[in-house]
Amino acid sequence: MSEAMQPAALARAALAIRRQFLRMHYAARSGHVGSGLSAIDILTYLYAAWLRPSDQFILSKGHGASSLYATLHHFGKLSDAELATYYADDTLLPAHPAPRGVAAIPAATGSLGHGLPIATGMAHSYKYLRGTDARVVCLLSDGECNEGSTWEAALFAGHHRLDNLTVFVDANGIQGFGRTEDVLTLEPFAKKWEAFGFAVSECNGHDFAQLSAALGAPSPGRPRCIIARTVKGKGVSFMENTVDWHYWPMNEAQYGQAVAELDQAESGLLP
Amino acid sequence: MRVDFVKAVETVLARDAEALFITGDLGFNALEGLVAKYGKRFINAGVAEQGMMGLAAGTALTGMRPWVYSIAPFVTYRCLEQIRNDVCLHQLPVRIVGNGGGYTYGIMGSTHHALEDLAVLKVLPNMQLFFPCENDHVAAAVALMAELDGPSYLRLAVSAYNTSRAPLAEHPLTLTRSYAARADRSKPGVTVIGAGHAVQVALRALSAHGLDRENVDVFGIARFPFQLAEDSALMASVLDTKNVVFVEEHYAAGGMGESMKLALPALSAFSLMSASYRSDQRYGSAAFHMKQAELTPEALVALVQAQLRTS
Repeated sequence: MSEAMQPAALARAALAIRRQFLRMHYAARSGHVGSGLSAIDILTYLYAAWLRPSDQFILSKGHGASSLYATLHHFGKLSDAELATYYADDTLLPAHPAPRGVAAIPAATGSLGHGLPIATGMAHSYKYLRGTDARVVCLLSDGECNEGSTWEAALFAGHHRLDNLTVFVDANGIQGFGRTEDVLTLEPFAKKWEAFGFAVSECNGHDFAQLSAALGAPSPGRPRCIIARTVKGKGVSFMENTVDWHYWPMNEAQYGQAVAELDQAESGLLP
Repeated sequence: MRVDFVKAVETVLARDAEALFITGDLGFNALEGLVAKYGKRFINAGVAEQGMMGLAAGTALTGMRPWVYSIAPFVTYRCLEQIRNDVCLHQLPVRIVGNGGGYTYGIMGSTHHALEDLAVLKVLPNMQLFFPCENDHVAAAVALMAELDGPSYLRLAVSAYNTSRAPLAEHPLTLTRSYAARADRSKPGVTVIGAGHAVQVALRALSAHGLDRENVDVFGIARFPFQLAEDSALMASVLDTKNVVFVEEHYAAGGMGESMKLALPALSAFSLMSASYRSDQRYGSAAFHMKQAELTPEALVALVQAQLRTS
């Protein structure tokens, strides 16, 4: 395992991305904080350790765009100057990813249920038409699995045995107006993906060793689905597991407390 | 037009290794030849239009140029947001093909009619619409679509009046066809414009209902956005006659006629013949629906005569 992939290095990277992410949201007074925090460890692992230059990543949960921007910036795929425009007038970095704006973001998303069909088309093309070994990763929210188009694409991916496609579900258990289990239950969730022809694993979406194991398991002849059990608002105690922090921007005191909690977490890391 | 389309798209697939064909599980007795010949570049996405349009966009993001086929209502309304977001906003070369424009599917019922397809697509950014007038007009539309870097829609249809007529001229870019031209342009006249296969109402009127070639210029248009600066024969006729009768097999609201009226200079008369919604919910052949909507050669002749009387 390279140094960048050591758990402590990954944790430090994720903390730096969370710090940047909170700074962006505080400066912009923008919402969707909780949704971004639940995805940051997955994004960190993917960009630090797994994605190759030829691979494609589709953020189907477009409301997590700022977490992707912060991650791309951390890994040198967005400049300081570009990132500084987030959420401001004349930016290429709006609250949901824009079309044709940033090289590292191939598809605009934000209306849920669009990412997996697009990712499936890319994966099919790479595997059967273009003859490359490029892989496609698509990150869904669990609420997004209410969308029929997600399952249309899942049927297609299973049928065509797209083993170059990895679906991540950021399963934080909370959607727009309540808990997923109360709104439209998805369970038995893993069995649903299995029934559609996917090799399914579940992991703690904040545990790098588990993410590594899940991504490391090959699935010849089958697309993969990794159900990453996550905590909405992860890393900031008062944001964790609440619907509210899907929506609210932070005030000064809340931002201060959030940063203090990241400082404390960082001090607990091994040097 | 479907047979002509399949022939034309086959030449595209043969010529362009990055072209591919995606169907929403339709094309029985029409697409089998493509399946046999192009194997990997023929995808049946299943009965799943939203997923199909998204995956078409995905293939285009990898450099492919997909043709996405189903019947017109299914490949437009069901997946409109995928067309808008995944295709049009990304300016991708996805060629959408809808079979059965207008009342083509007659007795199949209103779910199968496509009377709003051009309306919902014409407002989308970067979208170009093609609606051939006759079977022998399809190949030219396909050839132009194959060259586009952005999205397009092809509306295939069969007219209840099923009338073919050799055009006097066809513009290579706009595809506008001139079907009849007055010999003496100093006399009062009417410019009849048909949108796509609806022009066949006028062709039938010319051949069998006494529409007088001394009085009318007849054009069939086939593209939107219009390129009227290119369409000099059509514009010359309109400026001469100041009278237009426009025929479309589509609802008036959002149709091509509405857009044409806005695009033309001030006229003495502009009459619009369009499809209409009927609440009585009676169904029949395409001809039955055309008669209900008064989209008939007789009605066209009456409108032309009325305009001539007042000019």
